[in-house]
Amino acid sequence: MGMEQVWVLPAILAGVFVVVALFNRLLPHRGDFLAILGMLAVVALVALVLLDFQGAFVGGHFDPAGTNVYAFDWLTIGHDFFTIQFSTFVDSITVVMLVVVSFVALMVMLYSVGYMHGEPRYGWYFALLAFFTAAMLTLVISGNLIQLYLAWEGVGLASYLLIGFYWERRTAAEAAKKAFITTRIGDVGLLIGIILLWRATGSFDIQTIIAAARSGAIDETYLTVAMLLLFAGAAGKSAQFPLHVWLPDAMEGPTPVSALIHAATMVVAGVYLVARFSPVFAEVLVARDVVLYVGLLTAVMAATMALVENDIKRVLAYSTVSQLGFMFVALGAGAVTAAMFHLFTHAFFKSLLFLGSGSVIHATEHQTVEQLGGLRRKMPITTLTFVVGGLALAGVPIFAGFWSKDEILVAVNEGAALPVYAILALTAGLTALYTTRLILLTFFGEPKNQHAFEHAHESPPPMLGPLVILAALATVAGFVALDGVGRALGFAGGIGEILYLSSPHHFEFNAMLALASTVVAVGAIGIGWAYWSGTAERATRARLWAPELHQLLVRRYYMDDLYQALINRVILGLAGVVAWFDKRVVNETGVDGGAQLLGFFGYRLKFLQTGKIPNYALAMAVGLTAIVLVAFGRQ
Amino acid sequence: MTESDGYILLALFLVPLGTGVLLMLTPSRERAAVIGITGLSSLAMFVLSVYVFAKYSFTGAQFQGVLAITWMENVGLLSEKGMQLKVGVDGIAAVMVLLTGIVIMPGTWVSWKIQDRMKDFFILLYVLVAGVYGTFVMLDLLFWFFFYELALLPMYLLIAVWGSTRKEYGAMKLMMMLIAGSVLIFTALFAMFNELGTGSFDMTQYFAAHFDPTFQKIFFPFIAIGCGTLGGMFPFHGWSPDGHAAAPTAVSMLHAGVLMKLGAFGIIRLGFQMMPEGGAFWAPALIVVGITAALYGAVSALRQTDLKLMTGFSSVSHMGYVFLGLGTLNVIGWNGAILQMFAHGIMTALFFLLIGGMYDQSHDREIPNLSGLARQMPIWSIFFVIAGLASLGLPGMSGFVAELHIFIGAFRAYPIIGGLAVLTAAITATYLLRMFAAAFFGPLNPRWSGLKEITWTERAGAAVLVGAILLLGLWPSPWVDRIAPTIIQSIPGVTL
Repeated sequence: MGMEQVWVLPAILAGVFVVVALFNRLLPHRGDFLAILGMLAVVALVALVLLDFQGAFVGGHFDPAGTNVYAFDWLTIGHDFFTIQFSTFVDSITVVMLVVVSFVALMVMLYSVGYMHGEPRYGWYFALLAFFTAAMLTLVISGNLIQLYLAWEGVGLASYLLIGFYWERRTAAEAAKKAFITTRIGDVGLLIGIILLWRATGSFDIQTIIAAARSGAIDETYLTVAMLLLFAGAAGKSAQFPLHVWLPDAMEGPTPVSALIHAATMVVAGVYLVARFSPVFAEVLVARDVVLYVGLLTAVMAATMALVENDIKRVLAYSTVSQLGFMFVALGAGAVTAAMFHLFTHAFFKSLLFLGSGSVIHATEHQTVEQLGGLRRKMPITTLTFVVGGLALAGVPIFAGFWSKDEILVAVNEGAALPVYAILALTAGLTALYTTRLILLTFFGEPKNQHAFEHAHESPPPMLGPLVILAALATVAGFVALDGVGRALGFAGGIGEILYLSSPHHFEFNAMLALASTVVAVGAIGIGWAYWSGTAERATRARLWAPELHQLLVRRYYMDDLYQALINRVILGLAGVVAWFDKRVVNETGVDGGAQLLGFFGYRLKFLQTGKIPNYALAMAVGLTAIVLVAFGRQ
Repeated sequence: MTESDGYILLALFLVPLGTGVLLMLTPSRERAAVIGITGLSSLAMFVLSVYVFAKYSFTGAQFQGVLAITWMENVGLLSEKGMQLKVGVDGIAAVMVLLTGIVIMPGTWVSWKIQDRMKDFFILLYVLVAGVYGTFVMLDLLFWFFFYELALLPMYLLIAVWGSTRKEYGAMKLMMMLIAGSVLIFTALFAMFNELGTGSFDMTQYFAAHFDPTFQKIFFPFIAIGCGTLGGMFPFHGWSPDGHAAAPTAVSMLHAGVLMKLGAFGIIRLGFQMMPEGGAFWAPALIVVGITAALYGAVSALRQTDLKLMTGFSSVSHMGYVFLGLGTLNVIGWNGAILQMFAHGIMTALFFLLIGGMYDQSHDREIPNLSGLARQMPIWSIFFVIAGLASLGLPGMSGFVAELHIFIGAFRAYPIIGGLAVLTAAITATYLLRMFAAAFFGPLNPRWSGLKEITWTERAGAAVLVGAILLLGLWPSPWVDRIAPTIIQSIPGVTL
């Protein structure tokens, strides 16, 4: 098993999906063990792929073209005129994604055995997880844009079905719809972008397109438009402004799903896509700047919204949106390594936080902080792991998030304007602030709902196991940045070689910046602690302090309201006009009116048939005269 | 395909006609016999259709299985080879034959529920199917028109007798509009016969005729509008939503699934193949009509509350893609148009099958009245969601393969139109997902607590159609390998 056979990974899970989806009623435990066994096999095979990848990585020299090996023609028109060739492609970005996806998926599946126990449609749930993971793995190994789009929509479908998993709830059905349609709007851009790239290069093969773009064969304006359209797809999938509105609502899905799809894997597909095309983005700096500023705006907006949110899962959702913004800022600054590194660490600590919140919800059946509090006494392991995840998210030194966030700040300091750096650093401070608030209001202070508190209990081992493993990773995952660790893992150049791209980019530790960001993080935690710890009513102080601002944030900058009004007034209004036109003008006037007109003439003309001989004789005489006159007139 | 396969092509329409005769001889009260006969007959048609599709060799001649039986010659206006029963298929016809076989089998199965005059229903339905098959395989112009009309006329009785919701109005409107279209076709047909001047209706002579360009420019619209009316072409689509809403399940399936494709097929056979320069002249108009229909149908569907009306407007929208693809005049767009004919046929047949399975019990199709049906009818809902996903162009399903080609073809011809076409796919997603959320999900409306899951025959029928959707979506090359060479080889005026 090596990089050539990487297609086996999704194939296994696709098989699991078919079996579990169709036959889960016949299988013991509704087939959950099949999904987990399949996932274990995939994780083991990913390890083999990783070894093979290291083997191909001799002396820091790595030929990405050599890995595009497995290919077949999906369809062909004419000879070499139009071909869609499916292929697999493995490089450093792929390997990072494979590790993240397979590992987090395994953790989530194990956790789900405990969390989803006794739920209806339990087998269907595991089938969908397998389907999602198969699609996600296909996405990251695709060498071809059509194949990538296929998988891209596949993960979107899985997301739709899993957000709407509790479809009896109206809100879940609406959230699923919103997620699908919003991402679909981005996908319009993605598909047009793909077609434009094909039009310019005659190929859907990603490496061929990148080579053509770098050779300058494509007009720069054309390429800029194409890249912006690709980014529209990425922004939809990765919930970036202005398409971010679906992700908070997506929290209607089961919590493990939020951890897997809406934190660690699917939502980073956009980051992956932009990273994949980073050599092209480097050619069109206007498009890259758009990526940077959209990411920056999203990071700030989402972080501020997280400050006032009371639903634990939604806080984490805003946090995810914000952290994805960080990744796009890094991509926009040209630091693909930093973006992928943050993607890697974020996957662990954010899925940890989501699974931790799931543990809280499982124990208390509440998910707003107004009903929680003081849970550290009842749920020590959940609390400890959640705090570890929170420290990683806040960017406290030695925890994973510190290293990667710091790397992004270093890159921005070098590759972007100073205000960008300042705003991003401020956002990092906001991150620490809302994380502190969330932890304090959930696990510390006095319980706000005594009944829920009394019934709370620590979660069962299948749920705690993944929490502990992920907590360990959230602590140490950042160390791969260090050269020594990199050497130990088989990559002499540390992070630069693990994430080898067009040019090796070594981990740059800037002591001054690290110190500054540490001060920001710790300071923000301190402020948060001073502000929110203690009694229950302190939680509501922000509302009283600046009600308008608070309202603006709670209403999510009125963007959802704006979109809803746009749909109701403009789009449905237009549809009403068109439907009216079709009914009244096309049908009743055109078709029925035509028929009535004919009927009318028929009615009128029938009076010519009087049945009286003299009338007919008169007509004959007139006609005959006319014919004779015409005939003579001609002569 | 060898020459002896010509008899298979004859069998395609002789089997349903023979079944019709056999049914006439069967007593109406013998329901089991009627079910047995139609079951075997529809299976035979399915097998024959698959055989024709499989045996069509994409490296062979343009028309395969050609077989001609002289009907009349050297009489009156007719000279040698004047009128022959001449059959043969190219790659496009082979795909359409397969489509008919895939739709008629489930269509037969779901009609076994009919209580009122089931035998008579099947006689008319099978005459209609014979007309459809005949049109697809016929290579004689006059017989082509005969079978074309044979496919239309039973529709009136099928809707007016067995239909629902304003059935007389729907049947009459449909019939009048389609007959008006036929008048145009008939006019063009005799104009061509006259212009050709050899006294023969043999199509191959028409393909090679190279009519005068002015003649082509004048008479191409006759074919395009005449056949386009049957294809649901904007603004002659008025019959489609009302007709579909009124028709009984199997007729909706056949009609939206196959008959509308007959219209597009006519534009290809009689229009583009016989009058390529006229086609090239009018192609921009087809583009405009196609993209307008796509957007117009999709936007109208957003406001429909009747499930069948929504599907009807959805059909207008999807058939718009077909005309758009034809208008691009390039192989990719054309390939997409023909794939779309197949894909839309399968998917719409599935839609109507499922709507029928629910409506027979609930007698209500108003989307706002339906809620939470997934609780009561989970299998039905899963099938419906699959049909909807195929309709909105989800990759991995038939619709995407077709739409992708149409989009690319449109981008090659007119990028802005291509962009609008992609946008239409997003609107399609919007109206379908709104419908899913309203009708299937949410709490169950207690009014529907008595609804039962669809029957086993309906499930089997839906499974056949879903199989076809996935097969084309995941492995399109058997289709493309037949369609693309045919276009390159035999459609003049269509470039790479």
